Amino acid sequence: MTTSRASLTPFSAELPTSNAPQLIVVNGRPCLGFDATTQETAYWSLMAPQGVDPSPLTISIAYMMASATTGGIALGVSVEAITDGDATDLDATTSFDTINTGTVASVPGTAGYIDVLTITLTNNDSLAAADYLRISVARVVADAADTATGDLYLLTADLRDDV
Amino acid sequence: MAALPDQTRADMSADIQRTPDCPGGVTKAELRAAINAADDWADANAAAYNAALPAAARTALTARQKARVLEFVIRKRWEAA
Repeated sequence: MTTSRASLTPFSAELPTSNAPQLIVVNGRPCLGFDATTQETAYWSLMAPQGVDPSPLTISIAYMMASATTGGIALGVSVEAITDGDATDLDATTSFDTINTGTVASVPGTAGYIDVLTITLTNNDSLAAADYLRISVARVVADAADTATGDLYLLTADLRDDV
Repeated sequence: MAALPDQTRADMSADIQRTPDCPGGVTKAELRAAINAADDWADANAAAYNAALPAAARTALTARQKARVLEFVIRKRWEAA
């Protein structure tokens, strides 16, 4: 059974000091605006929920395009899972697993229409319940599949597993 | 004026995509091709534009001033469209 484990919203995102998506409100809806030409990244930090099983772990990302009606998009999601007692110097290093990339061949034909991209997080840093979990989401503008112009508005995302 | 450098064209493509009215019916590559074509056209037709100007302006204005005149005309035409 697929179980939702965490909801990631624009207002709960942690935005880096450089190359962060723009936090905006479109028609009353909070969005993270990811640029089409500069790779931008947002982060979420949480404690991995009890019962989570990363085999498989997926993330479903709801988005709309600001203006694009043609072309595709590519999103990259990385997982950093740190267990109590791990020898990771948090104030000096990061330990994100390899990026998981998902693509959409054709964005909705009307700007503002919603689409949901689900990415299987094969590289999940051996996530376990109660880990200190960070998730990064980036628009991979250099990916050959990311051909749509203008901003991608991330609306929300849902972390899921299937246990 | 020669055609714009490749990096300038790339920067223009990025800038356009950061505007609220970014063209949405084409892909990034197609948008860049349109910018290249527009700049190539401007380069190829610079002499024709110069010739179209009345003699007084053609002889008195610098190339930069003539380009500025054309910019104003294009902007107003775009705003009215």
